[in-house]
Amino acid sequence: MAFDEVLKELEARRAKALEMGGEEKLAKRRAQGVMNARERLDYLLDAGSFVESGLLATSHRPEARDKSPADGKVAGYGAIQGRPVAVVSNDFTVLGASSSVVNGKKIKHVKQVANESGMPLILLGESAGARMPDRMGASGRAILGQDPTEYLRDRRTPWVSALLGSCYGSSTWYACLSDFVVMRKGATMAVASSRVTALAIRQPVDAEELGGWNLHTATTGLVDVAVDTDQQALDVVKHFLSYLPSHNGELPPTASVPEGSDEPIKNILEIVPESRSKVYDVRGVINCVLDKDSIFELKPRFGKSLVTSLGRLDGNTVGVIASNPKFKGGSIDVDACAKATSFLVLCDSFNIPIIFLVDQPGFLIGLEGEKRGAPGRIMNWMNALSLVTVPRVSITMRKNYGQAYLNMGGGRNSEEAAAWPSADFGFMDPATGVNVLYGIKAEDDPERFKRLMSEIAQESAPWPLAGLFETQAIIDPRDTRSYLKQILKIRLRRPTNGIGAHRLSCWPTSY
Amino acid sequence: MAMVEVKSDITGMVWKILVKEGTKVAEDDVLMILESMKMEIPVVAPQDAVVKEIRVREGDHAAEGEVVALLQI
Repeated sequence: MAFDEVLKELEARRAKALEMGGEEKLAKRRAQGVMNARERLDYLLDAGSFVESGLLATSHRPEARDKSPADGKVAGYGAIQGRPVAVVSNDFTVLGASSSVVNGKKIKHVKQVANESGMPLILLGESAGARMPDRMGASGRAILGQDPTEYLRDRRTPWVSALLGSCYGSSTWYACLSDFVVMRKGATMAVASSRVTALAIRQPVDAEELGGWNLHTATTGLVDVAVDTDQQALDVVKHFLSYLPSHNGELPPTASVPEGSDEPIKNILEIVPESRSKVYDVRGVINCVLDKDSIFELKPRFGKSLVTSLGRLDGNTVGVIASNPKFKGGSIDVDACAKATSFLVLCDSFNIPIIFLVDQPGFLIGLEGEKRGAPGRIMNWMNALSLVTVPRVSITMRKNYGQAYLNMGGGRNSEEAAAWPSADFGFMDPATGVNVLYGIKAEDDPERFKRLMSEIAQESAPWPLAGLFETQAIIDPRDTRSYLKQILKIRLRRPTNGIGAHRLSCWPTSY
Repeated sequence: MAMVEVKSDITGMVWKILVKEGTKVAEDDVLMILESMKMEIPVVAPQDAVVKEIRVREGDHAAEGEVVALLQI
């Protein structure tokens, strides 16, 4: 047959590239219950949908060509639930999936295609960082920085990272730039490995302490969700994407409304305590308001006095920012500020309307917050909120005090504001207010203190706010779900088919 | 076996202590309730653990950042 030899050569080269780092390394991973780069893509993508880009790429160094199938990163395109996506899957069995000239070009290419063709980009992270000896010395610097937009994040399509092993270098950088990050417990992410760090600081360093799931989900907030297996991580990636559009020029996909979604809200008066001294978990409220089982919380272990959650209302994706009185009484700390700001950016960038559910006694006051620059974080949030061009609806459930009244959609910072009859607006907690305004404490003059406190309390009921048209409606809590459904339908920006102006698309990815 | 310090998130008064040394707790279980800003605010376990030591008594004043309990994970 014509072309026989060259076709055989092609087949041989392809087969070799598909062997990845070789059977021994692959067997070791199988024994550990960890998927390899190609297995992960098989699991993630719709069957038969994967189109690889760069199977026959190798290291640019002649002596390393035979040891670098696909140059350690498998890239290409596929579909998830029928929707096109672009992917990069790190192959740790090939030189630790270390970053190099050629695989850097692959990433750049796939990013560009994702942008231009309007597809989410999914990065499956597990990489050893810079490739040696390529990166040594001055010539090692010289091969870097050829793309001035390499670490620019202009949110046109969703970027999702899964941290599935030791992550240094590109896996870590792209996770920080991503809209959503899921991490498998046991995986690590840091600037340098614990071994390198221990050498540099001459002290033993525990890998989990340096960059494990607990650090990143609870302390740094760089990871949204932690799971136990590769499969669970990939399932979460798919789940996240189901709430988002493929690119910022379209609305998110709609889903059907599960039966019984209108029922839970009828019991809301049992979930929120009438007594102002009692706290509760606001997730109970969110579950009543949203379509059944649609709640998908981001960063549940970080900045816990706020809940930031995607979900659906009447089949349409919404983003919820809700005070959670269970933690710190709902008072908003520095981490919660950062979390709220990032969430505003995510929703605004991808045409997702925002719902604020408010029950907060103000920003948390104290030394810790001030040391971490609380005022700066508060202003970041206001700055971002001012740039939002998707509909924002604010519902005040109980307390709503201080500057945070504005951050949570007060005044002109939301398109519609409503309140429950139990709402309580003011500058600060009435008891502290008496002290600040009149200079007396409860034990000094209990009678007068009580009188002054009830005077302040009367002024803080929602009726005057409604009277001045600063809240457009006072609603029965049991009507919250139907109110939100109506308002979001009305406030859809029909002149642009619901597409926002995306003024936050270049907002920093962390701070 | 590692020790985890549970710190008070806020400045307040220790109102009720709900566990004792040896109690097994799950992540988010309430260890004690503080009173602050006129609210009863729970202090919860950050991870699944066993209570090793309670460092405060009911009626004590707890400062923000103060270690109120030690847990063994």
